[in-house]
This record gives sequence, structure tokens and C-alpha cells, in this order.
Amino acid sequence: MHISLKKEIKQSHIGKAGLIILLLVIVIAVLAPLLTRYNPNQQSAASLLSPSYTHWLGTNQVGQDIWSQLLYGARTSLLVGFGVGILSLMLSILFGVSSALIGGLYDNIIMRIVDAFIVIPMIVVVILVAAYIRPDLFVLILLLAALSWQGGARVMRAQALSLKETGHVSASRTFGASLLYIAWRHIVPDLGPILLVEFIFGVRRAVFVEAGLAFLGIGDPMLVSWGMMMRDAMKFSYLNVWQWWLVPAGVALSLTIVGLTFVSHAAESVLDPRLRGEAVA
Amino acid sequence: MLEIRDLRVTYGNDVVLNGVDLDLADGETLAIIGESGTGKTTLGMSIMRLVEAKVQGSIRFNGEDLLFLPDTELQEIRWNRIAMLFQNVNNVLNPVHTVLNQVAEPMIEHKLRSKKEALVKAGELLTKFGLPPKRFSAYPHQLSGGEQQRVLLSMALANDPDLLILDEPLSSLDVTTREELGNLLGMINGHRAKLVITHDLDTASRLSEKLAVLYGGKIVETGLTQQVLRYPRHPYTRALIRAYPNMTTVKDLQGIKGRMMRPVSGCPFHPRCTQAIEKCSQEIPLLTQSQGRLVACHRGGIITLLSVVNLSKSFDSLKAVDSVSLHIEAGETLALVGQSGSGKTTLAKTIMGLYSPSDGMIYLEGKEVANKGRDFYKQVQMIFQNPGESLSHRLSVLELVMEPMEVQRIGTKEQRQKKAIQTIGEVELPQTEDFLNTYPHHLSGGELQRVAIARALVLNPDLLIADEPTAFLDASVGAKILKLLLNLQERRGLSMLYITHDIAAARKISDRIAVMLDGEIIEEGPSNEIVTAPKQAYTKRLLSSASALHLSCYS
Repeated sequence: MHISLKKEIKQSHIGKAGLIILLLVIVIAVLAPLLTRYNPNQQSAASLLSPSYTHWLGTNQVGQDIWSQLLYGARTSLLVGFGVGILSLMLSILFGVSSALIGGLYDNIIMRIVDAFIVIPMIVVVILVAAYIRPDLFVLILLLAALSWQGGARVMRAQALSLKETGHVSASRTFGASLLYIAWRHIVPDLGPILLVEFIFGVRRAVFVEAGLAFLGIGDPMLVSWGMMMRDAMKFSYLNVWQWWLVPAGVALSLTIVGLTFVSHAAESVLDPRLRGEAVA
Repeated sequence: MLEIRDLRVTYGNDVVLNGVDLDLADGETLAIIGESGTGKTTLGMSIMRLVEAKVQGSIRFNGEDLLFLPDTELQEIRWNRIAMLFQNVNNVLNPVHTVLNQVAEPMIEHKLRSKKEALVKAGELLTKFGLPPKRFSAYPHQLSGGEQQRVLLSMALANDPDLLILDEPLSSLDVTTREELGNLLGMINGHRAKLVITHDLDTASRLSEKLAVLYGGKIVETGLTQQVLRYPRHPYTRALIRAYPNMTTVKDLQGIKGRMMRPVSGCPFHPRCTQAIEKCSQEIPLLTQSQGRLVACHRGGIITLLSVVNLSKSFDSLKAVDSVSLHIEAGETLALVGQSGSGKTTLAKTIMGLYSPSDGMIYLEGKEVANKGRDFYKQVQMIFQNPGESLSHRLSVLELVMEPMEVQRIGTKEQRQKKAIQTIGEVELPQTEDFLNTYPHHLSGGELQRVAIARALVLNPDLLIADEPTAFLDASVGAKILKLLLNLQERRGLSMLYITHDIAAARKISDRIAVMLDGEIIEEGPSNEIVTAPKQAYTKRLLSSASALHLSCYS
């Protein structure tokens, strides 16, 4: 039972690579104001400039610095990613664990709702809803979280159901413990690795969906985002600007998603030893 | 014939008898039992008026109050109508007379017979009590203890008394002599009443029809010997039986916690009683009728802690527990024996509320338990079959033992810690910092089970449900766990529902055994009766297949 998650991720090369990429993106996002002189939302020079000493990646169609947009785009991506990741994880725990512990009608209702959401493709719903309400960053996070907790909840419920039957949970019940106490003290801590994997899944999905929405032009046009950059760049594809406009944004997005995938892959091998390559001492 | 009312005997400030009431009819044998120091001998001596102490109350012998009788009349009654066999054999016989003369002496003294007749009668008596004629002319020091006792008995019966007081008549004898003399004593009934004073339950059960249990100068329980010894109602009587090594009971010996103290306010037994309530230390309980006998206890004798009536639990079409009724008394172990799949664990879990019953009721101290809340679990705790699984691997030993108090919201963190450490000591685990911070996967099976026991005990429950607590342990460790449970029962008066498939272990730890088969209790009774005289074929099979050493000398 005692597998150290940290150790497991550090020991796998893929995990290490993933962590390094993620850290890089996080550092860029945090230190964005120090790495550029320009505000990504303001015109700083003539439009559509090629890369130069002052504008490393040139400017876009309204004269905003593309390098700055790239840096600040990381912020948006990570904010949405982690925000949705945490929120949807909390919802997953809340509904999954409570369903397992309370059972009966409540369990039935929650699980039917989950089924319904899983059947409907999330991206379609998000596009439809987002097209109508034009969400800003905060509402977008809420929206994505509300649509992405269901899969996690099902996993949590399954796990909690099996944990519920373990001896130490029965023992706790015979001390007169409430369901809340049992969930908090005995079930959630034992969900550990699953929580991490679910969390990273959530983050990755959210980063991807956010970029997609921005690329489709749905969402807050004032929000600097990699998806929006690609969308803008595509409009000027005839101008050969893709090298410094489209590619960096695409690479940044891909790297972030690859980094997350690597980490989740390493974390998954904790849950399922069959995924481990060689025997880990 | 003998009627004692409110007898109080005081040596200085020491109250030895504190209001004793006794009735003895013609031809009846009453045994007074109790530990040494409870005032048994004083009671016998008071009837003979041989105590040099302040005596109050009344002792009526055929209507006459012995306490107010003039000495001359008393002399007439002593030996002629009331005779006593004294406890200490060595000091009673006169070393310079032959035994025949000494047996004849009371008859001559009281001028009942001529000397010649008296000697003949003495010879008859001695023969009757098994002393060969060639030993008649021996001096007391030439006789063995058993022979001296035969002489003393002959002496006591010489004047054909109506009441015979026997103070430890058989205690100092070896078992075979005891058997022989016991039979002889049993035969001298007729109209004669006997008062047998003894700490020896064998003597009491051999000789008496009625039994009175004396403790701290008071009678705490009295009734028919058979009934009292089979189903004792007073905690002291039960403790006395549990402490007595014998061939009938099969449970391991258990002592009584604490020691006798005098004086004690309220019930004399309350400092050692495991079911004492506040009232017990304030008021002296009176002898009152309780289930066919008299018991002096504010709680009406041993209380019924848990009773289960027609409890059923079905899983879909499977009836795992089928209309089971059982009860557990305070301080008692009920062993639930049966093969795996008989529904034992389901029954335990249903009582514990881990399964909700399909039907039936559960009563705790006579009150129906509808919703098992924190209060219920404060009184009833459970030890699970697999200690490794029942202890969360994420908590340290100290945290594990503290958890029940945390759930019950008892005390501050420091108080919980203190109590937890104390309980850990009580189950004989180390109380070192290192150990307290250990996690379960570093502990051995025996240690794990002790931690589980400590955790179950930390709330001071009244009832412990132990589901195969030794199943995962090897025998030597298991034995220690069983001893520990018995000791806890002795100290705390813990009741136990002990669930096992092993009838060999069950008889060592339980007062009663219930045999379970296919969800039903098919046989239930005192452990010794189930083990020695099982009624059901299945019980017999359980017994014959139980662990044994299969040595060839038995075959």
C-alpha cells in the first residue's frame, strides 16, 4: 500500500521529462511580466512586423507583441487548466464519495446524471453554451468544471465503494463515526493516487478545450490565449507569418499537453503496476 | 428451628457481621460460603455464643433467644442440642486422653448415659465415621488429620444434637478422605439441621440444599444450592465460583479485583463490583426476591447488558441469521460457536449496526436500541477478525487508539492522548514514543490485535464483541490475547460476545456457549454443560472434531 507517488514519478524518465516541461511553463507564466516589456493587450508597434531585436517574434495584426502574448498565454492556459482541474476534482470527490457512502436513491440519481453527461460529448455542449454566454475567464472555469467532473466521480465512487467495505472503515463506523468523518479520515486519503491522476486528466482536458474554444473564436476576445493566437495567425497564413506566430503558439500548447500527459502516465503506473516498464526497486 | 434476625457482631470498632438474617428448618442443610474474613466463623461462633464481642440482634433456637439465655441453660443447649465442629482440628482434641474417651466425654459430662454406655456409643460413632477399632485407644497426636476429623465428627454427634454447625468440615482433608467423609456427613440427616460454614464450594454443593453467600458481614445472595451455583445472580457469587478450581466449570480461573475492605459504606462489595453505580456506595442493599432467590443488590443482581430478540438478517434469499435470540449479562462471556458460514459474523455485524437487521430487536440494558448512535457505540465495541485490515495503515498506533475518542468527541487532545497511552499500557504494549509513532505495517500480528483491543477498550465499553480475535495468530500469541481478555473481564467487568469456530478455546473463556448452525442458535447453556453433555448431534460433532492432542493413551 505504501508506494510513494513522488518517488514513482521521479524514477520514471517520462515522468521527469513531464515535470520539467510543466515547471518550465509554470515559470514562464509566473515570470511573464519580467520576461517582456510589452503588454500583450496593447499595441506596441506597427502591425505584422517580422521578428526583430525589440520584438522577438514580431507583432500581430494590431501591433501587439507576439512574444508577450505567448508568455501571457501560458497564464491563461494554466489558470484554466488548474482551476478546472481542482474544481472538477472537488466535485468528483463530493459526488463520487457521497454516492458510494450514502447509496440508495441518492446514489441512483447522481449516477444517472453522470451517465447522461458522459453520453453527451462535452465539447459540443461547451461550444454551444460558450457561444451563448460568452464566458470570461472565471465563468469559463466554472463551466468547464461543471461539465468535466462526471467521469472522475464514477471512478471515485467505484473506489470508495471498495474502500467502504474495508476493515478500518467498518471499525470507524463502530466508534459511531459520521459519514463525513469516514469520508474525510478514511476514504479520501486512500484515494490518493487516483486523485492525482484524475486531477492531471482534468487539467489536460481543460487546457485543450480552452485552446479549442479560443481557436474557434468563442470566449472572451480580450483574453490572451494560445488558441486565439493560432486563430489570428491562421487568418494571415498567406503572409508567411506562421513561422513566428502560428508555430510558437502551437508548440507551446503541445508542449504543455505533452508535459501533463507524461506526468499522468508516470502517475498511472503507480496505480497499475503492469504499466511499469522494468521492475522498479 | 433456627431463626437469626439482624445479627450484628462488633469487635471493638470492627463490624464483622452487619445485620445477618438466616432461617434454618428441621432436617435442612444450609451452607454459608464466602472468602476468609467475611465473618463465616464468627457467625457459627455467635450461635454457640462463643464470641467475645458485642453481639446484637436475635438468634432464636426453637423459639428461645440464645443471646439472652442464662449461662446454665446455654450449657444445656451446647453439645446437647447444638454442636459445633471447629475449624482448627489440632487445638480441639485433648492430647492426654484417648480418642474413645474424648468422644464419650460429652455424653458423660451431660449425664446422658452411663460411662459404659457412653463408651459403647462412642465406639459406634467412631466406627460409623470410619475409624477402625484398633485406633480407639490412640492419642490425638497419633492420628492423621483425616482421622482426627472423624473423631471430632463423632464427638459433635455424640449427644445427638438438633443442629450441627460444621466449620470447614472437609477443607483440610485430602480429596479422597473428603469424598468419604462428605458422603458420611450427607447420610446423617434425619431431622437434624446442619449449618455448613465453608469457603469450599465443593463441600457446600456436596452437603447443602440451600446456600447463603456471605460478604463483608452481610448475606448477599441466598437460595437453593443447585440454582445459585448454576446461575449465580450476585456478582460476588459469580466471582467466587469463577475463582474456584474444580472439575465442573471449564472456564479459566479468574480472581476478583481488589481486596476485601472494612468498613465500607453502602453495599460491602461495591469497591470490587464491576457493575456498581453511585447508589451502591451510599445505601446498603436489602435482600430482595430476584428470579427465585434472595439477592442483596441495588441492580437486582447481575444485570442483562444486551439482549437480542428474534434478530434476522437476510441477503436477498439467503437467511444468514434466522430469528436469533440471545442475552449477555454484565461481566459475562457468551461464546458463539459454529462453523464458518453459520452466520456468526453476520450476527455480530448486525448487532454492531454494520448491517441493518431484516427483523428483530436489540436491547441494551433493557432499553430498545432503535438507531445506533454514538451512545450505543460508547457501550458496545467490536474487535474484528483481521486486525491488519481493521487498522488504517495511514494512522500511527497512537492515532489509531485515539480515533474512537475523536469520533465520540471526548476530552481535549491532551486528555485523549493520555487515555490512549494508558490503554495501550493496559493491553501490555510498550508506551514508548517510538512505539506510539509506529505504523501498523511494522507491527506483528499479536501487536496488531493488541492495538485493535486497546482501540476497542479506550471508550470503556461494557460489551466487547470479539470476532475470532485469535484467528490470525499462532497459538502462543493467541493464548496471551485470551488471557488478556479474561484479565480485562476480571478488572473491568467487561462482557464479551466471543465468536469462534473453536469450541476448545470457547470453553476456556466463556461462561456460556451458544452453538450456531445455518443462522440459528441450536443449543445454548453453561459452557460446562454444553461441553460435557451436549444435546444436539451437531454440538457433539463440534466437540469430537475440536482440537486435541490425540495421544495414544486415550485410545
